[in-house]
Amino acid sequence: MVKTRLCELLGIEYPIIQGGMAWIADARLAAAVSNGGGLGLIAAMNADAEWVRNEIRKARELTDRPFGVNIMLLSPNAEAVAKVVAEERVKVVTTGAGNPAKYIRLWKEAGITVLPVVASAGLAKLVERAGADGVIAEGCEAGGHIGELTTMTLIPQVCDAVNIPVVAAGGIADGRGIAAALMLGACGVQVGTRFLVADECGIHENYKARVLKAKDIDTIVTGKRLGHPVRSLKSPFSRQLFSMEYDPNYSNEELERIASGSLKRAVEGDEKQGCFMAGQSAGLVKKAQPAAEIIKEMFGEAEKILGSAGQWIK
Amino acid sequence: MSTLSKVAELIAENAGVDAKEITMDTTFEELGLDSLDAVDLVMACEEQFSVTIEMDEALKTVGDVVRLIDSQKA
Ligand SMILES: Cc1cc2nc3c(=O)[nH]c(=O)nc-3n(C[C@H](O)[C@H](O)[C@H](O)COP(=O)(O)O)c2cc1C
Repeated sequence: MVKTRLCELLGIEYPIIQGGMAWIADARLAAAVSNGGGLGLIAAMNADAEWVRNEIRKARELTDRPFGVNIMLLSPNAEAVAKVVAEERVKVVTTGAGNPAKYIRLWKEAGITVLPVVASAGLAKLVERAGADGVIAEGCEAGGHIGELTTMTLIPQVCDAVNIPVVAAGGIADGRGIAAALMLGACGVQVGTRFLVADECGIHENYKARVLKAKDIDTIVTGKRLGHPVRSLKSPFSRQLFSMEYDPNYSNEELERIASGSLKRAVEGDEKQGCFMAGQSAGLVKKAQPAAEIIKEMFGEAEKILGSAGQWIK
Repeated sequence: MSTLSKVAELIAENAGVDAKEITMDTTFEELGLDSLDAVDLVMACEEQFSVTIEMDEALKTVGDVVRLIDSQKA
């Protein structure tokens, strides 16, 4: 068995977190991952607080195991959602898009374990000081909104910068990725892209088919000009968005308007106007499976690789 | 040396710009600093001045940082 301090910290069997994914990670997916021995997350995205409360209660009916909520700090509802997770006393909160320092005390008082997502060593230090229990360091291989550094370079630098547990995210989709992440100093992994094709993930079949078909070079990064780069699968829509960013005839407002709502459209299967967010690991994702099977398979592989690591020492 | 000129020097070192061109009204954006650069800058200021600066969205200009440092030193 692969056991790390993340298992103890979160009360889980396998040191894996299913990343929060806007419009995608709901009670059903989160509960399936938690029932499979990992930590499932509900993505609060821009949803209002009552939706989040409902999903939390739904997840409680589907699993007795711990699960968490991912909060986007830029959401207009962030403040209200921050209160709801404290009232509901969820086990874990992860945060994206910013610095959660001002909410950490509220959450700690509710007994919540707080794991902010960070893309630099500086931000990791800042949230450690603010009281975070650990950090999820996400490299730019990941799907969705991304930073600049790769997982390979970010993880060891964040591990050097802080004393709290570090979870590696971005580009991890099999046992090799888990083994590598542990070697870099992480005590667990967060995975998004591979869970897109989990049987319990409710996205449209078109979306799943695209992820399964993708190969190594099939992702593209848009949104750089707007200051929030996003990785998604190449499609006529994402390619067009990409080229418009280099065209001064399009204003930033126009670009924002075209991009906005495009993940939701992808989730609903809109092949023309959807932005199918996924990471570079999509090329490693070959099979639709139940979430529990994905977790078991990944850790089976990791165990084998880690077990034979001694062969390199002569 | 004033707080501003010390902060300006820190920025100049980190961002490769001319310290003399930095005023209280200079924004991080004008300096080409993104939000992660701003975090590193604020941490560097904390070390240099032995103060604690709460990072939030309200920090937009060099002056915002300078005023926070001065209010804690006073
Ligand atoms: C479709 C999609 C949507 C995502 N939405 C969010 C989100 O709302 N909040 C967040 O913190 N991270 C989000 N992420 C990032 C994931 O939580 C996770 O960190 C990332 O997928 C890990 O890298 P991987 O894609 O290589 O597995 C999203 C990722 C994907 C693929």
